[in-house]
Amino acid sequence: MPSIELVNATVDFPIYNTRGRSIRSTLLRRVGGAVSTADDGVTVMALRDVTLSLQNGDRLAVVGHNGAGKSTLLRVFSGAYEPSRGSAEIAGKVASLLDITMGMDPELTGAENIILRGVFLGMTIEEARRMIPEVVEFSELGDYVNLPMRTYSSGMTLRLAFAISTARAPDILLLDELISVGDNAFAAKARERIETMMSRASILVLASHDPKTLRKYCNRAILLSEGRVVTAGAVDEVLRAYGITDEDGGL
Amino acid sequence: MAIYPSSRDWRLANTDFLRGLTSWQVWTLMGVSDIRQRYKRSRFGQFWITLSMAVFVAGIGLVFSMLFNQAVSEYVPYLAVNYIIWTFMSGVVSDSSTAFVQGTVFLRQENLPKTVFVMRVLVRNLIALAHNIVIVPPVFLLFGVKPTWAIFLMIPGFMLMVVAAFLVTLVLGILSTRFRDLPQIIANLLQLAFFMTPIMWRVDQLGGQGWWVTHLNPFAIFMRIVADPIRGYVPDTWDYVSALVVIAGLTAVTWPLFARFRARIVYWL
Repeated sequence: MPSIELVNATVDFPIYNTRGRSIRSTLLRRVGGAVSTADDGVTVMALRDVTLSLQNGDRLAVVGHNGAGKSTLLRVFSGAYEPSRGSAEIAGKVASLLDITMGMDPELTGAENIILRGVFLGMTIEEARRMIPEVVEFSELGDYVNLPMRTYSSGMTLRLAFAISTARAPDILLLDELISVGDNAFAAKARERIETMMSRASILVLASHDPKTLRKYCNRAILLSEGRVVTAGAVDEVLRAYGITDEDGGL
Repeated sequence: MAIYPSSRDWRLANTDFLRGLTSWQVWTLMGVSDIRQRYKRSRFGQFWITLSMAVFVAGIGLVFSMLFNQAVSEYVPYLAVNYIIWTFMSGVVSDSSTAFVQGTVFLRQENLPKTVFVMRVLVRNLIALAHNIVIVPPVFLLFGVKPTWAIFLMIPGFMLMVVAAFLVTLVLGILSTRFRDLPQIIANLLQLAFFMTPIMWRVDQLGGQGWWVTHLNPFAIFMRIVADPIRGYVPDTWDYVSALVVIAGLTAVTWPLFARFRARIVYWL
């Protein structure tokens, strides 16, 4: 059964190449996580003592201002960042749609990129090759699939990236804002696909600034500030704590 | 923070290594793409690797055979084999400094084994080596060098060299990610190592007092156990012992470092 267990997870980035006080005073308390100034240099505390347990069926909304630690938290969930203190146990196949173009190479053709990304998603080269027609059909690339990706428009590149990234359903799905790609027709299709993916995922984590989206897809929420979980609970409750009332449609 | 790796650290490091080796599809594909990308859109493609090697060997071979007063037919084959092996060794060492930095986008987003990026560097350099080694048979034919059965000894020598290359890439990769001055230092030392290793010159030209240059220099040790068999000479048993000692030393440094700092690599990117 897929699950995520964080116990006192702390992520602190040592910044080695900044020296001196100027950076300390300017960085301190303005943006981002807390910046501590130990003797051995500057440390950015991106996450502090986060304890969290996610089980099958949990749809977690992550809210917070820029630099509150939302992306860092998602990266801890993906297993990329192992906490510098505390622990993070992640069980299940994770797909993070944080950077959907990850690892795509403009010099390679569309088909080669599909294979490359497919293998990163854990397929064998053969399985990835079999995925090509399906991805081409969804992304509507047609014959472009045999041309180098640098000849694509940015929209085509995104369509391809989206089609590959969403080709397989994961156990745990991590999203940083709902991705919207392409023109209206494609965006609708993409939305449908990502909704299916979201509903099939055992655990969903969605970081977003849009209360409508969060209310629609999530059943619990946390509010991050300076890398700490300041409020946790029902989505509406957390949104209120964040300063969004029920009547507010938008931000 | 603890200085010594915990038992959990050791376990995770070993898991990383095993997962890394079994994800061979990932690193093969990455290594092949690296080469493809570098030569895409050029007419000769990756055969530029072969071509530049051939030009270097021909040019330097002619001039240095005169400089060293040696027959071209002896010197060119000698240089060709040495320089091809050296190119592999120096390529691995210099690429090691970007092993993890190059994989930043992947490492920040996914839980890929770190050793995948080490294997990628090896694959990339092995492909280059395969393109270079094709020069050797024509050179041997041209100058009438006959390989002996000793050529089979190239296999164990080569395997030892690859093991050492893995460890070097891992340790230098970790250190270069943390200390960004290291790549510059490595580049400098590599240049020095080129002249201190019997690649262009012969051991006997050095004379007795230079014993340490060829026996304490790890590049020279691995050079002998790979290049000498190709030329038809059986390496000394001591060369194999030295190579094993180097590998043991590398493991003793690399593995604790990897266990302790494996999870930190991504924080340093």
